Amino acid sequence: MPGAFGPDEVRRVAEPALELPGVDGVEVLLMHEWGGLTRFASSAIHQSTWREDTAVRVRVVSAGRIGVCATNEFTPEGARRAAESAREMAAVVAPDPQFPGLAPPRPVPERDGFDEATASTTPETRAEGVAALVAQCAPGFEAAGAFETTAMEIAVANTEGQFCWTSSTQASLTTVVTGGEGGSGFAEVFAGRVADVDPEAVGRRAAGKARASQNPHDLDPGRYTVILEPSAVATPVGFLAWIGFGGRALLEGRSCFSGKEGRQVAAPSISIYDDATSPLTLGVPFDFEGVPRSRVDLIEHGVFRGAVYDLRSARQAGTESTGHALPPPNPEGPFPLNLFLAPGDAALEEMIASTERGLLVTRFHYSNVVHPVESTITGMTRDGTFLIERGEVGRPVKNLRFTQSILEALTNTTMIGRDTELASEFFFSASRVPAIKVEAFNFTGRSDH
Amino acid sequence: MSRGSDGVLGVARQAVEAARAAGAHYADARAVREDTESLTVRNQEMEGVDRAFSEGIGIRVLVGGYWGFAATARMDEAEIQRTAALAVAIARAASRLPREPVSLTPVDAVTGRWESPMQEDPFSVPLEEKIALLMEATRRMQLVKGLAFAEGSVDLFRRHTWFASSEGAAIEQTTVQSGGGIEATAIGDGEVQRRSFPNSFRGHIAAAGWEHVRALGLVEEAERTATEAVELLSAPECPSERTTLVLDSGQVALQIHESIGHPVELDRVLGMEEAYAGSSFLSPDHRGRLRYASELVSITADATLPGGLGTFGWDDEGVPAQRVPIIVDGVFQNFISSRETAGVIGGTSTGAMRADGWQNLPLIRMTNISIEPREGTLADIVGDTKDGVFMATNQSWSIDDRRVNFQFGCEIAWRIKDGKLTQMYRNPNYTGITTEFWRSCDAVGGRESWTLWGTPNCGKGQPAQVARVGHGASPARFRDVQVGVR
Repeated sequence: MPGAFGPDEVRRVAEPALELPGVDGVEVLLMHEWGGLTRFASSAIHQSTWREDTAVRVRVVSAGRIGVCATNEFTPEGARRAAESAREMAAVVAPDPQFPGLAPPRPVPERDGFDEATASTTPETRAEGVAALVAQCAPGFEAAGAFETTAMEIAVANTEGQFCWTSSTQASLTTVVTGGEGGSGFAEVFAGRVADVDPEAVGRRAAGKARASQNPHDLDPGRYTVILEPSAVATPVGFLAWIGFGGRALLEGRSCFSGKEGRQVAAPSISIYDDATSPLTLGVPFDFEGVPRSRVDLIEHGVFRGAVYDLRSARQAGTESTGHALPPPNPEGPFPLNLFLAPGDAALEEMIASTERGLLVTRFHYSNVVHPVESTITGMTRDGTFLIERGEVGRPVKNLRFTQSILEALTNTTMIGRDTELASEFFFSASRVPAIKVEAFNFTGRSDH
Repeated sequence: MSRGSDGVLGVARQAVEAARAAGAHYADARAVREDTESLTVRNQEMEGVDRAFSEGIGIRVLVGGYWGFAATARMDEAEIQRTAALAVAIARAASRLPREPVSLTPVDAVTGRWESPMQEDPFSVPLEEKIALLMEATRRMQLVKGLAFAEGSVDLFRRHTWFASSEGAAIEQTTVQSGGGIEATAIGDGEVQRRSFPNSFRGHIAAAGWEHVRALGLVEEAERTATEAVELLSAPECPSERTTLVLDSGQVALQIHESIGHPVELDRVLGMEEAYAGSSFLSPDHRGRLRYASELVSITADATLPGGLGTFGWDDEGVPAQRVPIIVDGVFQNFISSRETAGVIGGTSTGAMRADGWQNLPLIRMTNISIEPREGTLADIVGDTKDGVFMATNQSWSIDDRRVNFQFGCEIAWRIKDGKLTQMYRNPNYTGITTEFWRSCDAVGGRESWTLWGTPNCGKGQPAQVARVGHGASPARFRDVQVGVR
């Protein structure tokens, strides 16, 4: 198994690019990732992979003109060649009048996110984990999913003198259990250390859901009180990253928060922030321009406070970068990768007990934007949707389609869970979120399973 | 990679030998070299220009009927040996959970070479020319009063693949793909309205050279595109009703992609994608029996179509490109499959296994899945419609985990009244159930209105892979569809 190159070797690779003559500035983004993924279906391992890749992405600045070139040849020679190609592009393109300059030298927060045991996890270890998960399935049920262990190092160096490097690991286990008379159950866990992944617990949870969701019934679409479990909450929160929280979209009037700074956009109990430095998430302490990441309060007690910025959008907004740049050239602008919905004080059981009639939703599937400014998205429920009647979880129901404004749902949120989970969304990075209870959630269609 | 073409094929062969020596009963290796170039201009300013280069090798093995796969960017002999041994170790670990051993349907071991045709190498066209095209297109869009953003983009892609297998295959393939598009954005009164040309999400990409981009008409269509974006701001919302729906060929292409292309992937049917992208409402018993669509609808998976993003000589298992009937006169006939999955249901591979780069193992992916043209133009279909809604250009998509309930949004719509397009509508969308929807199809345009679109962003698999696939489509009409979902 490989290991991290380390900051000295990474700096050596970047050096020839930084010394490129005839330009005003150079930035080198270096990434190195390796790891394995054991994928299973029908309670057997059917696709199991391992890979190692590198990337050297060079941004060259010449008289306000920008060129970017990336290569996976992780050598000083590869970096030099990429820099030359970027210089060639910069020589012929038009200047970017909004170019803010490269990141100045600044210290970045320390983060010890690397776990050697996770980085060197063997396929045998992952297979044992899958076996432990599968063992939780009752006869007639099967598990599908993926157990992944990865490691990465990332560095940014530029000719302004900024150099930052970090390494981290990640372990995740997701599963869907199916079988019996229809119905399915889902569970997942994300952690920085493989030791924090408990395959039996993940399997038990999904298997329990699958058993409970047998023989789902038809339910008419309409507006329902819903209790969204964390994996479902990750969808609306994740979509706000895309259609709302980016500083560039906010400035340009494309964000669902444009013109709403300082205004109430959600229930007073709702606070959303981004914080890559929190030990409760899997974050990198600097962004892809080498700017230190900092916590940004986006919605505080239901009031929209502001967006995240990279250097370019910060200059346009007359503010400072919050450390949310994506890799260049990135026309989309800044993006929050480590969102949190602050917990409340309710237990999931209390939310259920307080609901006369409603739905318990495990997660959503394949959601997408309907109206970005109104924050309306649509998607399907999946892997365990249950009717709640008179304070108790009752019969499972077939999957429903929702078409719902996120900000309306957050305004109609009446209870927030006290426990949070790192939960994934199909398109976005994992957010740390609790369960929430929402009134009048809009279901507009249904499926046959 | 400084090696010549034969040298890279030699590395792939070396990887296969190393895997065999480590204990693989079957092995294949794909060395891949990819180049991309991407340009974005907004309001006559550069938003970004970048090139990327990636190369490496992926080694896939079967040991005792269990798969293993490992990939590395370093192609020296020691690393190849180490990676091949790791692939074998991964396969051995997979046997921890017993399953029916994988069996591959037979395929002739081919030695061959294939290249996608093109007239003008897009990577050799000077950057200045590409930028000038986008600058002029955005300048023309900006002449339209009330427009907030005028964007233009060009995307180029080249992939060389060298494939060797322990069965003796030795295949070299090169595909070059070029595309471009423009997008106009108007903002006001709580609305962001976009119009794109020739299609949304960075335009129209094809397996072709720069001649394809030149012929798109980005400059010529700039003013109309921008004008429609501005007009949408003051257009009424698409009404909520059940009505007749006419779709342009670009939206029909995505409708095919989501509600036919994915459900007919045999790995989904067999549960292999259950936990991530989902499964399918189809089962092997449906072949030859299920009325999927009306008699007007015939769907074909064709990896031999010139210009398609899903066109190749052989797939990433060395199976030759094929033309496969999926739906014939409305009746479902075939899945798209791999050597492993085809055997499970008693057939042969349709040649649909493709991998995203060298880093990933091949999965069943769409090739070019197209609706066969019938008769007439879009104008003919509209002219033959008494009342309904015409929607154009995809904006969003959503479908459930078995591909049954879907909802799509489009950029623009018009009321059809007595065979004519009348009132423009903004924010149009529609929803339905896959087979009900396709069974309601009562008009499919002819060859003259049929376009082979590229969809370069199809997601599937864990680790996540992105495939470049094609869809040929004509405009089509569907009856009694719910539109204007709110």
